[in-house]
Amino acid sequence: MVESLLLALGVASGFIGMGWLALSMSQHWQQVRDTSLPPAKLLRALAAVALLTSLFLCLWVDHPSIAVLVWVMVISASAFLVAMLLAWRPRWLKPLVSWAH
Amino acid sequence: MLQTFRQSMAWLHTWFGLVLGFVLMAVFFFGSLSVFDREIDRWALPETRFEPQPMPSYDNLLADVFPNMEAEEEELDAARKRIGGELPAQLQPVGWGAYTTHRDPVLDVFTEYSVPNPADPFDHVHGHLTLDPRNGTVLPHDRLKIGSEFFYPLHYSLHIQWQQLGTWIVGVAALIMLVALVSGVIIHRRLFRELFTFRPGKRTQRSSLDLHNLTGVVALPFHFIFALSGLTIFAFLYLPVGETVLTTPAQAHLMEEAVSRGLPFEPAGEPAPIASVDAMVMEAKKRWAERGMPGEVGFLWVTHPGDRNSFVSLFRAGSDRVAFVGQGVHFDAVSGRVLYEEPPPSVVAGINEFLTGLHLQHFEHWPLRWLYVLGGLLGCTCIATGFIFFTEKRKRNLKDAALVRRVDALAVTAVTGMVVAAGTILVANRLLPVALPHRGTWEEVVFWLAWLLAFAHAIWRGRAVPGSLSPAWREQCWAIALLAVTAVVLNWITTGDHLLKTLITERYWPVAGLDLALLASAAIAIRVAFLLRGRERATAFVDSQGSRALEVVRG
Repeated sequence: MVESLLLALGVASGFIGMGWLALSMSQHWQQVRDTSLPPAKLLRALAAVALLTSLFLCLWVDHPSIAVLVWVMVISASAFLVAMLLAWRPRWLKPLVSWAH
Repeated sequence: MLQTFRQSMAWLHTWFGLVLGFVLMAVFFFGSLSVFDREIDRWALPETRFEPQPMPSYDNLLADVFPNMEAEEEELDAARKRIGGELPAQLQPVGWGAYTTHRDPVLDVFTEYSVPNPADPFDHVHGHLTLDPRNGTVLPHDRLKIGSEFFYPLHYSLHIQWQQLGTWIVGVAALIMLVALVSGVIIHRRLFRELFTFRPGKRTQRSSLDLHNLTGVVALPFHFIFALSGLTIFAFLYLPVGETVLTTPAQAHLMEEAVSRGLPFEPAGEPAPIASVDAMVMEAKKRWAERGMPGEVGFLWVTHPGDRNSFVSLFRAGSDRVAFVGQGVHFDAVSGRVLYEEPPPSVVAGINEFLTGLHLQHFEHWPLRWLYVLGGLLGCTCIATGFIFFTEKRKRNLKDAALVRRVDALAVTAVTGMVVAAGTILVANRLLPVALPHRGTWEEVVFWLAWLLAFAHAIWRGRAVPGSLSPAWREQCWAIALLAVTAVVLNWITTGDHLLKTLITERYWPVAGLDLALLASAAIAIRVAFLLRGRERATAFVDSQGSRALEVVRG
């Protein structure tokens, strides 16, 4: 039970990390937040932290050999989901950056 | 023509990708289905719909099964041809084995017998059975396990057995896949900047390229590592150095290894009874627990059964890690004492086990299984959008019209036609009479006929209109939806296992999962069919407006 919860957190932080990475690019930032330029460096740094957190959580839950595979696949799936959201429902990603100016 | 490096890479990517893309499409799709091969088996064989079982007792059950097994008739025929004469009535068994995972209700047991062949002292044939480990009941031989015996081998051999040609074709395709990935990365101008870019509103040529790049790049690690590990799994076939070029040293090495481990390489030729294997299982489990990795037996193998030099090898099921079995403990079969306990694998062996294990995935991790399905389907999307980009790009050029029509018909066959065939075999599985002799073979025949029919349909309906796909795509989407829903309904009618039962009252995920996947496929197919219909109408409207405008201009 605790393990499932930790894994779910790992998946969530992988998704958030890829979301921040995408929004650090101006063309995607503008799909979500009108016109201004993104705080690119900050978003990339946050993305790196979120992705590392995801890896850490995956390693906590499973044997390292499995955890590495889970993490790589979570990153791929997240990137795909972020891209699909940007294509069809970009505003749904707004909560990820609503705190930024 | 190809002045720059990038242009030559583009040429390589386009043409090699096109030719082997059709093979790769089947490899990716049936590979994705193979992730749940055991679950598809349960759906296809209603009598095996029960919970997964641990390795049964050897002393009480398997000890009675193995001695009564026989080699497969086909293998015996082939062996008679090899030695050019009759075989002795009773062949000497070389080994008996059983393998199970955390997903297997039924148990696979297999045997190996030596063939007296002066030209090849290691010539042998195999026997095989599937049994219910709770009571030893044997499953009839002509029942086809659609997941593990049809979709899974299709994924790596295309069911072309002659000279293992199918496996060679898939191997070449995997190699080209690696080439396509590298050349694709080289010709992609904005790999990182367009990592998340998909513009569905642009014209088909642009949006299909977007999706091709997206699905190729986001799942790049998956595509790369699966093509590579697929090749390493079959390395023994593609680079058979050990078995052909170096037969004598390889045998010498095996013998040396056996001797260094204290394991008898040759039978003694004197009969001797086998001690309690269940006691050996207890001992192996105790040793695994002492090493901090308690577990169950995944693989059991008896070498030289019934001989004084016989030994029993027990391997731990790798449910909790990637390597699928390991930590072997070998016992003297007659005395029951431990002969050799394997140390942790070397670095090279460990990498090999990791690559094989991550591809064959016998581990217990359901989220990772689903992520693999997603990776496989992203690969399918990448290949399918590659075909569509190829045809869209050439549709405006009239001299390419014949090529475009052919490629499009093949693409329809490889994409929707393959799903139609997969749906048909499931429907056939529920409709063919249970008592039909060679029932499994008939299911396979129906599968190939359905695929052939889809191909004929794709050729018949093919046309090359820019921005509009051939109507065959839409019509086969309807066929997929119809077949998928029919399969779910037939499963309910013929077995009584409807979704309310398999999801709620008597939960059984293997069957519920496949039923749900079929319904989801039907829903997607219907949605796509409507979208394609809308697109066709819009294009037809634009065309009629265009020709009217042209008439006005011409006066």
